Amino acid sequence: MLVLGLGILFIGGFSSAFPQPKTYINRIINIEITSFGLLLVMLYYNETLALVTFIAVTVITTFVLVRVIERREAA
Amino acid sequence: MMMLFDMIVYDLSAEYEAALIITLLCIIISFWAVMREREDLHRLILTELVEIMCLVIIALVATDLAEALILPGLVVGIAEFLALSELYIEKEGLRKAPENVLHIEVMDSAPGIIAVIFVIYGIILSGFTGGAVAGLGLLFYFMCRGSSEKREIIETVSGYAWACWVVAFIVFMAVPQYWFFGVIIAGAGIFAKVVAKMSLIGTMNGDGGEGDV
Repeated sequence: MLVLGLGILFIGGFSSAFPQPKTYINRIINIEITSFGLLLVMLYYNETLALVTFIAVTVITTFVLVRVIERREAA
Repeated sequence: MMMLFDMIVYDLSAEYEAALIITLLCIIISFWAVMREREDLHRLILTELVEIMCLVIIALVATDLAEALILPGLVVGIAEFLALSELYIEKEGLRKAPENVLHIEVMDSAPGIIAVIFVIYGIILSGFTGGAVAGLGLLFYFMCRGSSEKREIIETVSGYAWACWVVAFIVFMAVPQYWFFGVIIAGAGIFAKVVAKMSLIGTMNGDGGEGDV
């Protein structure tokens, strides 16, 4: 599971660092992949509390970012 | 027995080293991307990538200490994102709210029930995580219903949470034999605190005119 997590982390990191159609949404979706890698690493090391909190916080972060992007696109 | 112990320790550290190298590689990639990026909003998004990568390094420590370090890291991270996004909106002058805000049928019928479920589940979980879950429910509610007049109540709750915390601290210091009482009060305090903070984010989406948060 650790190997899988690190693999996903690497792939997600690379693809969000250099996304192919370079749009904001595309980059955010790629970052979600990366955060799944982090979740797997946390799962492997039994860090329950950190995992659950990270899920909650990721939702808010995505919400905040999408809100900024929405305004940006509207302007 | 000793040999077995040695073997286990050796395996763990080899695993740790390999994982650390991969993670460092990822960090280098993400910082490189930040360096090459010219647009501000892309940089803001990449900051989140860097944050995730750095959390992995802490998570690899794999002890309670790692968990205790990740939690404040997450909270500071979300606060930083809120502040940076507000700054960005100010700077680019994007004050006016977009006309076509997402509005679907679920947002009219569901908020009440979902908020209640989340809050009850959060109360059962209690503590920081429960606060986050319950706050998420309230966030959803405020986001869909849009309210500005309930802000004073949230501030009041936040103040009571601080008071709870201080009382719990005094209990810990003055009468340590009642530690369980202190833990309960502190848990309730942080629960209310996190709920209040997260529902503030929910009110943020309302009428863009007056300053939000």
